[in-house]
Amino acid sequence: MRLRFSLSSPALLIAVALAAPARAATDPDEVPRAKGMSTSIEAQSIKALHYGDTLFSFFQDKHFSAITGLMTSQHFNRLAPHGDEAEVLRGGLLLSYGVHDEAGQIFASLIEKGAAPSVRDRAWFYLAKIRYQRGFNDQAEAALARIEGRLPTALVEERGLLQAQLLMSRNDYAGAAKILSAMSSDPKKTSPFTRFNLGIALVKSGDMASGVSLLDEIGRAAADNEEQRSLRDRANLALGVAALQGQRADEARRLLERVRINSLHANKALLGFGWASAVQKQPAMALVSWNELAGRDASDPAVLEARIALPFAHAEMGAYGQSLKLYEQAVGEFDSENQRLEASIAAIRSGKLIEGLLERNPADEMGWFGNLRKLPEMPHAAHLSQVLAQHEFQEAFKNVRDLRFLENNLAQWRDTLGVFREMLEHRKAAYAARLQPTRDGAQAQAAALADLRQRRDRVATELGDAAIVADGVALADAKQRDLLVRVEGLQSALKKQSDNPEIAALAERIRLSAGVLAWELAEAYPARRWTAQKNMALIDRQLEQATQREAALAQAQRDEPARFERFAARIDSLARQLEITAPRVAALTREQQRAAEQVAEAALVNQKERLVAYTTQARFEIAQLMDRATVAKK
Amino acid sequence: MFDPFMLRVATLALGLATGMASAQTPEAKPAAPSATLAVAAAPAAPSLGLDERVQQAKSDVIKLNRDLLVLEEELLFPASTQVALFVSMDVGKLFELDSVQIKLDDKLVANHLYTPAEVQALHRGGVQRLYLGNLKSGSHEIVAFFTGGGPHARDYKRGATIKFDKGTGAGYVELRIKDSLGKLQPEFDVKVWQ
Repeated sequence: MRLRFSLSSPALLIAVALAAPARAATDPDEVPRAKGMSTSIEAQSIKALHYGDTLFSFFQDKHFSAITGLMTSQHFNRLAPHGDEAEVLRGGLLLSYGVHDEAGQIFASLIEKGAAPSVRDRAWFYLAKIRYQRGFNDQAEAALARIEGRLPTALVEERGLLQAQLLMSRNDYAGAAKILSAMSSDPKKTSPFTRFNLGIALVKSGDMASGVSLLDEIGRAAADNEEQRSLRDRANLALGVAALQGQRADEARRLLERVRINSLHANKALLGFGWASAVQKQPAMALVSWNELAGRDASDPAVLEARIALPFAHAEMGAYGQSLKLYEQAVGEFDSENQRLEASIAAIRSGKLIEGLLERNPADEMGWFGNLRKLPEMPHAAHLSQVLAQHEFQEAFKNVRDLRFLENNLAQWRDTLGVFREMLEHRKAAYAARLQPTRDGAQAQAAALADLRQRRDRVATELGDAAIVADGVALADAKQRDLLVRVEGLQSALKKQSDNPEIAALAERIRLSAGVLAWELAEAYPARRWTAQKNMALIDRQLEQATQREAALAQAQRDEPARFERFAARIDSLARQLEITAPRVAALTREQQRAAEQVAEAALVNQKERLVAYTTQARFEIAQLMDRATVAKK
Repeated sequence: MFDPFMLRVATLALGLATGMASAQTPEAKPAAPSATLAVAAAPAAPSLGLDERVQQAKSDVIKLNRDLLVLEEELLFPASTQVALFVSMDVGKLFELDSVQIKLDDKLVANHLYTPAEVQALHRGGVQRLYLGNLKSGSHEIVAFFTGGGPHARDYKRGATIKFDKGTGAGYVELRIKDSLGKLQPEFDVKVWQ
């Protein structure tokens, strides 16, 4: 038997690593972030408390609370002067929920209305991102080109990576390398993802030496976290496989040895290491890595391949008996694996996969986008590790989880609306109970008020008359009034005895006293008239206020029942919407769950098909070995 | 000698890797008719696909939540009596917030222990609405106690008091934690938003 490799060019091999998202967060300690958002909002000075409240939720990744709170505050117009910023945030949050169409409308609307340049730039960026995610690459590039100024620091790199991805999608690797190279001018400030992508772009643009050199540098660099370690493994795997394909087996082994034994990429590295050893005619060395690999989880095709590569290596060493035994063992294992896959598929169909994942990977709010860290409790759950890593499955599962969250949310509101309805009934009853006493009191007050108005009018008439006479008598104080009475009495008595000469002196004193009194009254009159007018104005204001309160009370008696009715109508309307929406969401949840299960099932069916292929090959090799043995006997 | 078996084996193992990686990039689709700001939409179909229907449902439920929250606020906290108390942090390097206790007219209305995530959110510019309630027009008093770690890792407890007049509109009061760089001490003040 001879060894051959199927891959035809180093570039194709390196493409294994190329298509990876530049920001794939695999660090389990990293705070989960919603896709498409969260990095564009920086620490800032808040000029509207309610916008700050939205950010408070947002910064804690409580995105559902953030967006619903934000939209509530928008309804009450209390986000100024952060109105446009709030719209960018709302669009980003919708984008993170996968509500692309509405998010796109928000960003387009911000641009059309001529928002501030910084807002417009972010809107163009997010529009570009949406278009890219939906596969409209030309339009995405056009949107990126419309960004005029500087984006927030956190988005600058993301923009560069997006632009590079767009260029690579139309095979402009040189253009992508140019962008990424500009972003990598300071290696200390450049993310490993950017440098990794630059290495790939260089290789694919034909600058093999620079690309390989950069990837080699990444493959040897110290890594601070799991994300960087995984990227380093990827670089080494890509380089190792490329070397293997280039028939540089020794170099391939050296590169593949750098991949950590427990890395996500370890299985492929072990497989490649074995093949490199086989190329070097060192089947015993190949056995070392393949033995390790063959004992691993059979859901990985590399493991299945190792199980038939092992007997191949034994055959190469001339150990045909052992080879035959291992082929037969592999066939048996493939058969068992096939049965386990059947069991897993049945478990998926019964709903255990999604229910188990939901149970073991709970999320506080909708839109949480962390890794699925715990496998469900179901037979042969290890089969699912590959399935769970698939983007398609993760997106489907995220939708299931979001929809479940929304189902619970709607159920809670249904209860809350019931409470609101009871509260409203209670208020209506309390209002009705207080209405009659209030009306009785209002009638009494209205009568009192009418009396006061009459009294006020009388006083006003008196003041008018006093103003005409202007002698101050009408405004005399109590003492003066008493004096006036006494003077008038004395003057009247004197008139009756006017011929009595003994009282002439007394009459003169009375005349003088009357004159003094008139003088005092005239002198005090202007001030007293001003005070009286002031008091009249005060009385008028108070009467006016009392009239307004009376009118307000009457208006409230008309308005309050109408207000109750409006609230009741809104509660009924929202309850109807809940009744319509809840079953719709529940039906979608079931449909989405089935879709996610079908993705998982299809992956397992693929595994079954691979098993069939490997089993066929193993049986073929068994037949060949048997023939060889028969010929040898003859 | 060419060995088709090994060819197939290698293809299955390494070719799969290529497929897995490319599965994470969106598939190219034909461009939509150009409109400068139009968001690319999927070609019209007789009925919406699952993804579109899920998008629509999410959008509808979010809007329904908005309407329900508006109803709740108008029903329970009408603007004429509404009062909201907020907590914010300006820099806050001199104080590690642990808890806030608030008394409104000598009645305890809020007592909150902070998680690290909440403190971090305040540091980044978030403002926490700690209390939402109703209050009659007129004069009122707020007393807030902040506890946490002060300079030199010492336990720190400080209070801030304010008397304010509640008018006929909604009243918002912001309790601010600030750094006094002159005194190298945290400061706590209260701002009434009209």
